[in-house]
Amino acid sequence: MGAGLGREHCRRCALPLSRQPNLKGHDRNVIQTFTFYLFATIVIASGALTILSRNPVHSVLWLILAFFNAAGLMLILGAEFIAMLLVIVYVGAVAVLFLFVVMMLDVDFAEMRAGFARYAGFGALMAVVLLAEMIFAVAAWNAGGVSVASKAAPVDPSVPNIEALGTVLFTRYLYIFEAAGLVLLVAMIGAIVLTHRTRSGLRPQNPSEQNRRRPEEATRNMNPGIGQGVEL
Amino acid sequence: MTEWFQGQLGYGFGWFVSTLILILMIALPLMLAVAMIIYADRKIWAAMALRRGPNVVGPFGLLQSFADGLKVFLKETIIPSSANRGLFLLAPIITFTIALIAWAVIPFGPDMVLADINVGLLYILAASSLGVYGVIIAGWASNSKYPFYSALRAAAQMVSYEVSIGFVLITVILWAGTFNLQGIIAMQKSHVFFLNGFGFNPLLFPMAVIFLISAMAETARAPFDLTEAESELVAGYQTEYSSMSFALFWLGEYGNVLLMCALNATLFWGGWLPPIDWAPLYVVPGIIWLFAKIFIFFFIFSWVKATVPRFRYDQLMRLGWKIFLPFALLWVAIVSGYLMITRYGALA
Amino acid sequence: MAPQAAEYLPILLFLGVALALSAAFVALPMIASRFTGSHKPYADKLAEYECGFPAFEDSRSQFDVRFYLVAILFIIFDLEAAFLFPWAVSLGAIGIAGWTAMMIFLAELTLGYVYAWKKGALEWE
Repeated sequence: MGAGLGREHCRRCALPLSRQPNLKGHDRNVIQTFTFYLFATIVIASGALTILSRNPVHSVLWLILAFFNAAGLMLILGAEFIAMLLVIVYVGAVAVLFLFVVMMLDVDFAEMRAGFARYAGFGALMAVVLLAEMIFAVAAWNAGGVSVASKAAPVDPSVPNIEALGTVLFTRYLYIFEAAGLVLLVAMIGAIVLTHRTRSGLRPQNPSEQNRRRPEEATRNMNPGIGQGVEL
Repeated sequence: MTEWFQGQLGYGFGWFVSTLILILMIALPLMLAVAMIIYADRKIWAAMALRRGPNVVGPFGLLQSFADGLKVFLKETIIPSSANRGLFLLAPIITFTIALIAWAVIPFGPDMVLADINVGLLYILAASSLGVYGVIIAGWASNSKYPFYSALRAAAQMVSYEVSIGFVLITVILWAGTFNLQGIIAMQKSHVFFLNGFGFNPLLFPMAVIFLISAMAETARAPFDLTEAESELVAGYQTEYSSMSFALFWLGEYGNVLLMCALNATLFWGGWLPPIDWAPLYVVPGIIWLFAKIFIFFFIFSWVKATVPRFRYDQLMRLGWKIFLPFALLWVAIVSGYLMITRYGALA
Repeated sequence: MAPQAAEYLPILLFLGVALALSAAFVALPMIASRFTGSHKPYADKLAEYECGFPAFEDSRSQFDVRFYLVAILFIIFDLEAAFLFPWAVSLGAIGIAGWTAMMIFLAELTLGYVYAWKKGALEWE
């Protein structure tokens, strides 16, 4: 709709590659700056509110908002797949579990607040460690005076980044990918071992057994005489 | 259109205005369509029960939905005193917003799509995975028993069927080799037999069936409407709602049903392509073909609602986890294996 | 901004329009009801619905652990699907090795699935 259709086509599908709205140079920069600060501000604000809100359900909802805007930041970078995955996996699945836990847990808030002082020291220590790690990471990133442009992986704009990712993940990082599969397997078994309880006295439906059942096994033809009952 | 506005109003602002108009051209007809589809649903349902259905307001009762809307609009919004006010009002907003935004990537014609993004199908999956929030938040914020139980059921039901929908979508992506919805439609042109464009793909057909049924479960339509099973849960998560906030859940639900019908048409039945690859049929605009297909699928939804009794919760979970999931998983292996041999020349 | 990102601007705008529309739908009737006089709250009307009884207990009770289990299994299968997405579009480029790797991955997960089935974790009595 109104988008300038380019001539060159994707090598895999029948789509033109240059499907961009008619935006250029200056406008794009203004919008980029605006959306970046919009998303970044909301991420930081909702992150802070996640920690500060007293109701844990509100905390999770703020966290969800933070995830969302982080996805928005990913989009600005052009990492479409990561952005969508962030929404599908974190917002659509992980946060649902969080919500389940905090909504349905009978949490005693007074007790939780009493625990704050006890864990404050430990929490502060963790915060310092995290901060130090971040500083080291940034320092390592900046070491050697290499420009950002050359550090970034070369990106071929004609290949959607999900395809590029797949190509790398399933060739170069194949073993790591298989290891991820094992981790998932362990997670699955662990979750079942930890949470599954078999309950007795239940009569679950067994459809295949029901379907196998024939009238001959379940019914009997009786022809009782007058005045006589039926022996069961 | 964009160019014209940009000529009149300058570059950025012209783009903004034209995009805004395009958005309203999707959102407003969509709401109209939802109103009409509610009417159609009631009519179809009534006809199958040998009743007349709505027939008083307007010719053939066509204006029934608008009368309902007006009535609901003028009602009082009741917020229970024990509810969390903010979240209580936020829930219908979330439901309706999510029902709307997924339409941004649905192609209505060869170049009629608002945002032709690379990962269109993932975007729709992301949007539909958010649908559960409106329900959970509504159920929790109401601070009432029935909505709470309903929200629990709805959440478990929606996530269970989302798993199979995810795997079904993967078979479609395997076939098309792209996430872009226009690309997926384009791939259906080159097809098996003479039925080009109709998109009948014997390999993907079982997935189309699973998708249709899962879509009913995902949108909590009958026979999977356990979230609002009136005999046990009153009106489910909507129990405490009134006025337009209540109506927004309805609009959202039907919006999602329409979206699922549109997806079914787009992913498996050629979207805006005509049913047969025959030149005269291309004279009819693609949007008409798409709407016709959407309506056919909506009729199936209605038909099922009118004829199939409600599932029990354990049956619902078994269907999702023990039948659809392994079947879809197996189909991913089959489709990818078939493509490895035929298209990517694994054995050559 | 990356070129792909520009395609998402209409979506951002759409999100804004959709939010505004639905917020208006919630807010306008509340305002309208003040003028039409339908806004008449009183304690009984605002009580939560419990078949005419006053509420017996707090509605936010604990519930069955199976709901957590369903959510956890969902996360795991969702992650599995997340790996399948890039695989599905790059199948041509990664060839038979990539395909086999994914089949092994799926077999691992199927093992977990069979375990869940045998343990009765997928049962819902």
